Amino acid sequence: MIYVTKMPKLDLEQTLTGHKGIVWHVSWHPQGKMFASCGEDKTIKLWSKEGQEWAIKTVLVDGHKRTIRQIEWSPCGNYLASASFDATTAIWDKKSGQFECNATLEGHENEVKGVAWSPSGQLLATCGRDKSVWVWEVAGDDEYECEAVLNVHNQDVKKVAWHPSLDILASASYDNTVKIYKEDPADNDWSCFATLQSHESTVWSLAFDKTGERLATCSDDKTVKIWKEYKPNNQEGVIVADKESVWKCICTLSGFHTRCVYDISWCHNTGLLATACGDDIIRIFKESDDSDPNAPTFELVCTKLDAHSQDVNCVTWNPTGNQEILSCSDDGEIRIWSFSSD
Amino acid sequence: MASRFSGALQLTDLDDFITPSQECIKPVKIERTKTKTGAKIKIGEDGYFDVSNGKEQKLQKVEITLADCLACSGCITSAESVLVTKQSQEELLRVFSERKYTDNNGVTNDVRLIVISLSPQPTLSLAARYKLTPKEATDKLAGYFKSLGADLVLDMTIAEDFSLLEAQQEFLQRFQNQLHDPKSKNLPMLASSCPGWVCYAEKTHGNFILPYISSTKSPQQIMGSLVKQYLSKCREQNPSEIYHVTFMPCYDKKLEASREDFYSEILQCHDVDCVITSIELEQMLENNNKSLRDVPGMELDWPWEALGEGSPLVRRHVGSGSGGYADQVFLYAAEQLFGEGNAQLTYKNLRNPDFREVVLQKDGQDVLRFAIVNGFRNIQNLVQKLKRGKSPYHYVEVMACPSGCLNGGAQIRPVAGESGRELAVQLELMYSELPLAMPGDNKLVRKLYGEWLDGRDSDKAAAMLHTSYHSVEKSDIALNIKW
Repeated sequence: MIYVTKMPKLDLEQTLTGHKGIVWHVSWHPQGKMFASCGEDKTIKLWSKEGQEWAIKTVLVDGHKRTIRQIEWSPCGNYLASASFDATTAIWDKKSGQFECNATLEGHENEVKGVAWSPSGQLLATCGRDKSVWVWEVAGDDEYECEAVLNVHNQDVKKVAWHPSLDILASASYDNTVKIYKEDPADNDWSCFATLQSHESTVWSLAFDKTGERLATCSDDKTVKIWKEYKPNNQEGVIVADKESVWKCICTLSGFHTRCVYDISWCHNTGLLATACGDDIIRIFKESDDSDPNAPTFELVCTKLDAHSQDVNCVTWNPTGNQEILSCSDDGEIRIWSFSSD
Repeated sequence: MASRFSGALQLTDLDDFITPSQECIKPVKIERTKTKTGAKIKIGEDGYFDVSNGKEQKLQKVEITLADCLACSGCITSAESVLVTKQSQEELLRVFSERKYTDNNGVTNDVRLIVISLSPQPTLSLAARYKLTPKEATDKLAGYFKSLGADLVLDMTIAEDFSLLEAQQEFLQRFQNQLHDPKSKNLPMLASSCPGWVCYAEKTHGNFILPYISSTKSPQQIMGSLVKQYLSKCREQNPSEIYHVTFMPCYDKKLEASREDFYSEILQCHDVDCVITSIELEQMLENNNKSLRDVPGMELDWPWEALGEGSPLVRRHVGSGSGGYADQVFLYAAEQLFGEGNAQLTYKNLRNPDFREVVLQKDGQDVLRFAIVNGFRNIQNLVQKLKRGKSPYHYVEVMACPSGCLNGGAQIRPVAGESGRELAVQLELMYSELPLAMPGDNKLVRKLYGEWLDGRDSDKAAAMLHTSYHSVEKSDIALNIKW
């Protein structure tokens, strides 16, 4: 009997058009049967499957006056948050039967670049060109209260991401760093307790693994870095100060990307990493079987050349773990891919 | 290095420290004679040279003043470099040394009178830092400033009292106006003594929020008027020959002092020439390897002898360590509007200790609802409440720093091993032990209303004790647009 080792591959399922101009972001609904997209055309489009084909179900317009940079579904799947260059963040829900904008978060001085829901759905973080990161609390029906305004980055903040199970927030910035924050229960105020410094240019995006003890970041310096949290009294003997965890860069993936890496997605089921790059390529990395937890090695298992005809802005694994990937690009297209490794 | 401005100002780009923002949109005016089109500019080691005319003409360096920044809607930068020119310890020391020079050389013409006004919060900050009692710290600060060359070192109780009395009067007026016209924007009245908050409101919420902000000047600026307009006359001194320094808990006060509203074209001077903060004073002492403990103490001055006796002291007021605005206005309004001469203030914390409210009930009804809102996050929530028409308040004491002015942005930082909260609690305790000032009983204030201001409701009182605010419109010029 002959065993044939198949190469892992990314198959295009469908190409979706409909947005005018750049598509900035796509976000899976938590159940993985629907997703939302947004972009330069100031609209949000909701997509789901009709038979075998993905198609537009709803188009949300008039929520924003300028480009919509990011959209995110709440963990319960009932709310959608959109971050826009018009300095506002809109919250959409379909309590009335169809999706409507029922709250607008104002406060950022100018362009809002990123938005993220905490795992409980009780908190929302936003970030933007004014260098600040804001934490909002859901305070009741369509009411959002500002919990914190964090001014620790020196430049534009590109993206925010929550720990998968705790109220710990991370932000990536044009100042080349990542900052990590949590709340001080003594006065309910938030502060930065770790700064991750190693990237040599803008950090564009970041993603926690399923445990929240590792963080992957991607940058304009063409690298991806993996960071690990070392808690106080860690077995490895890494010294921590002030009883706070320290985050160390334990792996740098360099030499793979030829341009800026705009986005990274860490699949919480398979542990696979997917990256979106300015060289129009989507890459998939897999941790080696014999990888040292304190100095892991990752292998590039799949390179999808010409995944788009221009910059790939966003890449995201289907949260159900079915190995489906969504991507979108400056070329105005959204693509759905299926990853297979055997 | 972290910005030293309050959070509210950091957000509005006021933390571009070293130089004005690279995106500064102030148009540059180049003085030039008529030429043909085009200019040739040569970059030399010591500047830029226009060589269009065949010979090198050095181009002027563009200078941006703080006033430019405050009036501009561009980057809102008032960089450290801009502040440094007029508002630094170096400038203060320069004025002192100039003064020493004239003294030593027997020059009597054009000598500047140097007046220092001490506010309570930084005095307590220094007391905590050098482990002194507030009285000791006050005396030693007076001794230190005099050793540098100050002529008068004053406490600001008089100005604080004026500010509180004017605020409570303004509140009654606004309350009545609101009754007559429920759609007017008289209430809630928002406190105006925090320049970080005022600057943020002007730059980001403009005409929506400004009508609510109390027109009463802050103690710093009332002290400025008193020194430049009244004290100068008593001393038969030209106001522009008085150099007036205030000692303050926050950098934002420098911006306030630099406002054009507080510059007199006629007198050719600002009401406050220089603001020096707790941290800067600590640095000045450290630069001379001095501890405040070792400085011989001196009594504060009492320059109001023409109006009667008095005891100069740094004092507290009823209520918060930010000056007690909410409590003072609440107590007065309870008595004047509802006949409650002995109203009790029991604050209830809302989402966090920096958003507190207090209610006066009459016949089971809430008749007055006041709040104290400290820190930028709570300012956001207050502004959003107002925008959605969901503010239940009649008055709000708003301060940009968490915990208010005792925790001002330029107060001395906690020493190693001490938490910021512990230090704030210590300062609050020290504040509560200061002798109490009673604005309503201040005879000096009453006399000044008569002799200086021509009565409480005169135009002069309005000019000296009140100010106005200006919305800064966002301009959408091409250079501003980014995406």
